[in-house]
Amino acid sequence: MNWYVKRTGQALFTLWAVASLAFFLTRQMPGDQVATYVDQVIQNNPEQDPEIVRSNIVEQLMIDPNAPFHEAYIAYFGELLSGNLGWSIEAQKNLNTLMAETVPWTLFVMALATFGLFGISLALGAIMAYKEGSLFDLSNTLLGMVTTSIPYYVAGILLIIYIGYPEGVFTQYFPVRYKLPDGVDPGFTLAFISGAIRHATLPALSYVITAYGLLALSMRGNSIQVLGEDYVRVAQLRGLPDRRIALRYVGRNAVLPLYTSLLLSIGFMLGASVILEQIFVYQGVGYWMDRAVQYTDIPLMMAIFLMITVSVVIATYIADLTYGYLDPRIKSGDEGEAY
Amino acid sequence: MSTHNTTNESGEMYSASETIIELRNTEVVFDMSRGVSRVLDNVDLDIRRGEILGVVGESGSGKSMLASAMLDAVVDPGILSGQITYYPDDGDPVNVLGLSDEELRRLRWEDISMVFQGAMSSFNPTMSVKGHFVETLEAHEYDREEGMERAHELLSDLYLDPERVLESYPHELSGGMRQRALIALSVVLEPDLLVMDEPTAALDLLMQRSILSLLEGLKEKYDLTMVFITHDLPLVAELANRMAVMYAFELVEKGSTDEILQNAAHPYTRALLNSTPNLDAPLSEMTSIEGSAPDPVNVPEGCSYHPRCPLADEQCVAEAPDFHDVSSSHQVECFHWEDAAEAIPFNIEQPSSPEEGEAR
Repeated sequence: MNWYVKRTGQALFTLWAVASLAFFLTRQMPGDQVATYVDQVIQNNPEQDPEIVRSNIVEQLMIDPNAPFHEAYIAYFGELLSGNLGWSIEAQKNLNTLMAETVPWTLFVMALATFGLFGISLALGAIMAYKEGSLFDLSNTLLGMVTTSIPYYVAGILLIIYIGYPEGVFTQYFPVRYKLPDGVDPGFTLAFISGAIRHATLPALSYVITAYGLLALSMRGNSIQVLGEDYVRVAQLRGLPDRRIALRYVGRNAVLPLYTSLLLSIGFMLGASVILEQIFVYQGVGYWMDRAVQYTDIPLMMAIFLMITVSVVIATYIADLTYGYLDPRIKSGDEGEAY
Repeated sequence: MSTHNTTNESGEMYSASETIIELRNTEVVFDMSRGVSRVLDNVDLDIRRGEILGVVGESGSGKSMLASAMLDAVVDPGILSGQITYYPDDGDPVNVLGLSDEELRRLRWEDISMVFQGAMSSFNPTMSVKGHFVETLEAHEYDREEGMERAHELLSDLYLDPERVLESYPHELSGGMRQRALIALSVVLEPDLLVMDEPTAALDLLMQRSILSLLEGLKEKYDLTMVFITHDLPLVAELANRMAVMYAFELVEKGSTDEILQNAAHPYTRALLNSTPNLDAPLSEMTSIEGSAPDPVNVPEGCSYHPRCPLADEQCVAEAPDFHDVSSSHQVECFHWEDAAEAIPFNIEQPSSPEEGEAR
């Protein structure tokens, strides 16, 4: 069978399975947001008929919390297939719109964090390996172990206290709340781009700081191992420039085992965004996830679950396709699969 | 150094054009917590232009150190000292240990090249074989097209399909193919001297044989001098013109292959020959050498072989023997070299020529 067809089928199956499981689990949550909402409306407009209010809202939600499981399931997945995520009472918005507004922001923070994290950790890890046993190596190892033991949300709060709170130099550059400065509209303007980056810096940084140690130490270990390989010694004797040996021989081979962890970290970061975006009042996917759980907003929860699943599935898909290019010993595409 | 006429190991005069590399008092030491580890001890050796020198010895006798020393490539905390002089085809002799980093970088691979013990791990697994050739040519500023043509020719001389091998990644080649590709890579810059450290160690017997014959062809065609280091005495006996035997980090005997095989004068060499497995010899006549090889931190005083030697006496315990001439082309480091043949008879008749039997 064509590999791409098979792999796409697998991805779709994963998507369906996770969505079904999430649907089943969210239905078990206590609390009825619809009933609460109807009560609120009736309180404000006592003359309205509760039944009509209720059926109106249920129609927008696509699922009736009181309907039997199989009916609700069919109704919800039917709507999903036609591209409708439903309506969120909590956000008072259509979920397609809400997702389009929030997902890019969260992905932006994640991308910033991932590139920063891998850039810094891989480079410093390799330098530590080259200078094994030096003061730099020892102090950086210690630093790595300490920062790894700090949870990311604690790092986030510390960043707010020490960088964001004092009315000092940093505060104006790295604000501690919201996605954008006041009065800046999205568009290809310098104000927008720099504003977006500055607002995303601290959330991304709290992730980078706490994940740095583990990754840098893995890179250090891998590099030390590769440095001991015969092919590095042969390359040195062949008179290759040190730079080429560092990048093409040591770096390339040491990075291979970390490639998978790069893509797996996306799932972890999406989970982390629930708390991190709360701390930094950053209205991305995680911020709304927290509110959805608090107010039992099942359609909102479902939409976010789907977004997370889609991101992870796409990331693994990319990993599968590209791993063979990175490591020729692993076959990609038609020849085999790498996970 | 300044003169082209130097004294060779046996005291005879050789003109420099006959010697390609000359090692004097070459030593490698490692500082370890339990003492100084001397893994190459006072080695004097002349390698003559155009010869194949076989260096044999058991595991851990310093063979690989000798190979690394010739390229000044002893691995890090090891300290190499002594005098190593390389005589290029044309031009002045080169003091290898006195070169700057850049000069040393050029000497390696362009003049003196090396094939390593582990062909399996000598290639970068994430790079094609072609990439290895190209980067080597580029690092030494050789003409890329001309160099790749030479690579093609070398690979076909080694009975490989150049196109296929160059496009492959190392893991796609068999052990024998990889070893041959590595030999081609070592010779691509047209060195004069090729040092091979156990180049056939991981290969099956058939592949060992075929690589030997390919090496002979390569030597003739490209006018190479070869140093072939191995623990496999019969194998090298077939290839080498001259042999040097190592024991306990020093050379104990050197001479032409015929002389060593038929008239080995060092008790160790004789015992080594006797312990060589041979299909023609009955199992009961197979002998091993009593005792074990010494620790590099704690080599016995006097002759380092004396604890295992049946001929050892007070003199052997007290002082280290110098080289004695058995013939003009055969030297041995033993006080009792005249008695060795009698004391340690060969357990089978040695063949009259290495081509005929011993090695088969």
